[in-house]
Amino acid sequence: MKSRHVQDIRPARRRFLKQSALLTTGLAVGFHWMPGAVAGDEGNRLAPFEPNAWVRVLPDGTVKLVVHKHDSGTGTRTALAACVAEELEVDPMAVEVITPENPFFEAYIHPVWHVFSTGGSTSVSLEYDRLRQAGATARELLVAAAAKRWGLTPDRCRAVDGRVVHAGSGRSAGYGELVDDAAKLPAPDSVVLKAPSQFRYIGKLRHKRDAAAKVRGRLRYSIDVDLPDMLVAVIQRAPVIGARVDGLDAAAALAVPGVRQVIRVPARPDVFGGNQEGVAVLAEDYWSAQQGREALQVRWSASPFSEFDSESLPGRFRAVLDEPGAPLVRTLQTGDADSAWPVAAQLLEADYAMPYKAQNPLEPICITAELVDGRLYFRGGVQVPSFAREAAKAVCGLDEDSVVIEELISGGSFGAREAKYWLMEVAYLAQQAGAPVKLMNSREDEVRALFGHAATLHRLEGALDGDGRLSALRLRALSPASGEQWEPGYDERPDHMDYSTTEAISAWDFAYRAPHLDLGWVRHETGVPTGWYRSVSFIPNVFAVESFMDELAHAGGRDPLAFRLAHMEERPRHVRVLMKAAALAGWHRPLPEGTALGLATNQGYGSFVAVVARLSRRDGVIKVERLSCVIDCGLAVAPGGVEEQVYGGLMWGLGHALFDRLDIRRGEVVQSNFHDYRVARMSDMPDIEIRILEGDRDNPSGVGELTSPPVAPALANAIHRLTGRRLRSTPLDLTLPG
Amino acid sequence: MIKIQVNGRNHELSQDLASTPLLWVLRDKLKLKGTKFGCGKGLCGACTVHFNGNPTRACQLPLSAASGGQVRTIEGLSENGDHPLQKAWIEEDVPQCGYCQPGQLMSAAALLASGAPVDDASIRAAMSGNICRCGTYGRIVRAIKRAADEGGRA
Ligand code: FES
Ligand code: FES
Repeated sequence: MKSRHVQDIRPARRRFLKQSALLTTGLAVGFHWMPGAVAGDEGNRLAPFEPNAWVRVLPDGTVKLVVHKHDSGTGTRTALAACVAEELEVDPMAVEVITPENPFFEAYIHPVWHVFSTGGSTSVSLEYDRLRQAGATARELLVAAAAKRWGLTPDRCRAVDGRVVHAGSGRSAGYGELVDDAAKLPAPDSVVLKAPSQFRYIGKLRHKRDAAAKVRGRLRYSIDVDLPDMLVAVIQRAPVIGARVDGLDAAAALAVPGVRQVIRVPARPDVFGGNQEGVAVLAEDYWSAQQGREALQVRWSASPFSEFDSESLPGRFRAVLDEPGAPLVRTLQTGDADSAWPVAAQLLEADYAMPYKAQNPLEPICITAELVDGRLYFRGGVQVPSFAREAAKAVCGLDEDSVVIEELISGGSFGAREAKYWLMEVAYLAQQAGAPVKLMNSREDEVRALFGHAATLHRLEGALDGDGRLSALRLRALSPASGEQWEPGYDERPDHMDYSTTEAISAWDFAYRAPHLDLGWVRHETGVPTGWYRSVSFIPNVFAVESFMDELAHAGGRDPLAFRLAHMEERPRHVRVLMKAAALAGWHRPLPEGTALGLATNQGYGSFVAVVARLSRRDGVIKVERLSCVIDCGLAVAPGGVEEQVYGGLMWGLGHALFDRLDIRRGEVVQSNFHDYRVARMSDMPDIEIRILEGDRDNPSGVGELTSPPVAPALANAIHRLTGRRLRSTPLDLTLPG
Repeated sequence: MIKIQVNGRNHELSQDLASTPLLWVLRDKLKLKGTKFGCGKGLCGACTVHFNGNPTRACQLPLSAASGGQVRTIEGLSENGDHPLQKAWIEEDVPQCGYCQPGQLMSAAALLASGAPVDDASIRAAMSGNICRCGTYGRIVRAIKRAADEGGRA
């Protein structure tokens, strides 16, 4: 899930609204985003311009929104529909949201990433303006069509609930009756958008689409795909990272009833994010395939990872940081930190470590592919269609026009569906098997699939002056490059910046100010494949910075809230969430014996959050009692959706703090299923209090990845207050005597 | 032949399937895809069905052990999607990705049908075997209470 500072791309966004007569029926309003178009260039560009239908009104009055946004349950489509419906004056729940027949059409290129993707908590914020304008344009055209028919000027007619009405005469016409006329009118040069005070749906939606189908078990997921003659594949992947098949005896596997084929899947180390080597068993159904897999006899080669042990990583990472010449990409530098150390009243230094983590969406990765007449059909939760294209090209040598995707909702992604190993594997199997192939991960496969969250080490050094104020701060964040390295052009960036690895510590989004700041990323690749993960580098960066801010406050004898506020400049929204969260949690009130609060904050995608954790200790057992969370996300288009994303993020943060940990021993992932890779259950949840502040009403911003990162440091900070012990690696051990 | 009744319908299945977990019989043989697969080890609850009235992880029940029994799946929870829990789930807007929800609903339905008092403790006890990665636990608690308040013991 990618992050990049929204403001530095905003000036590049260009909008053109135009209505199309190209469709056979109905009215379509679309717009086109042209990467790289510059002012003055527009005339040339418009000539061959084919508008893409974003909003279609059909003669039967149905409204369709065509948009390529993968849905993994975050309510994105509901919010997008609301933006159109608000201006078009129709009920958002009645707007059909469909994906384009061809998801590679240029207009669906994500305006920030330049690749076909849904990720990075940007979906609603980036589309907000364009969708409202598209809706408003359609409305104006429909009103103009009615006015013309009635011999009136458009300003005397109004759009209301899917109709145009003229109050004076009582005449009215449904949108469906007007579309053919409207399609012949020129698009207005500009449209007037509603003021937020006029909103009927935006900011008020409490329900999502599809709920009725979901509660009946009727929604079709990737795992539910069933085609005639389809084979189900499971893959025994290299147990040790990088190992190759040295010997294979498939006889026993092929003898299992239902098993049809055994196919060796070659590793693709030549492709960034490419798959490991594996042996696939293809059968009539999943259970047979699994039985066949158990009967496989595979001898694996040795690998450079045969001695790799993740337990040794913090030590190895420290050694890298101890080297004076460690490769550094500076993210923020002010003043001269070196000058501050000798004159400091106090110096602090601390290292913070986080382990590998697996995304573990509840629906394990599952994807069906079929090669027919030189076309490769994918069916399932394809979150990044350009990876499907890449797989088709790298594996089958097919060009991009030969890929067709039937996109289905995913049972969660959290970054797992932004990997590409499974797309490459299934493309290979479809090609080799000569039949439609449904590739399914077991839970064990999912836990061991790699391409999860990277292990990291952060070193912080701080100098306090005689008044307990921060005079200098140095941060070295050691981690591998993010999944951004899979994107074209990554290595050519002159500053070698990886925006997804330096979240919350960059010049534009680091929260704190001090006379001397020196922050940077130390790229260190262990070779263990890692990838996208909900909240990516916010997690370790915020854990380290927010823990260290508490350590500094404590060393200087300051209140952690006051200390943070004293080092913020011109961040009124940030200050406000901190103050409100503190008030909500009773920060300044006396606490019962054996209870403590801890605070942490985060910001990103234009949103701000503060979390206060409340812990108690009874009979030596530490319990998380409550998380109080305040966010400011600008405008919440669908407040119910925002609230559930905030809750989900807090749950994920609790997971990072207490459970998430993937160990690799002798090159093999140790954990295998939910018994040894724990995830949060209902019984793990503390009381959760959430407040969504009314922020900047004109500008909705992302929330999906905002709230998990501050949870672990808030807990670590509370544990320190409760026990005097400072925990600097996760998962936090709540059982140690303090 | 192995006989089972699923959502009121009788099925006769081959002896060859004796060791196949009920989950895969439901999904792949009877084509009832509402019951989901999450872990295959009885750890996540995505495959929860009612077996002779008890909430049961279908991934852990070989077909032979289900022989002669009665199975209810999400498809059979109500005729028209109007079980009090299904209504409450929509009212509270519980599902995110929705993948865990058939299992969650079957666990919750067993709790309500048991006649036990519905409170925070009994909800936690009944529901903590069902994992939701999206984070719908808070709303699940609200929806179960809502259904219970509205007399949804069916
Ligand atoms: S699939 Fe049966 S409990 Fe997880
Ligand atoms: S709603 Fe997605 S796993 Fe529960």
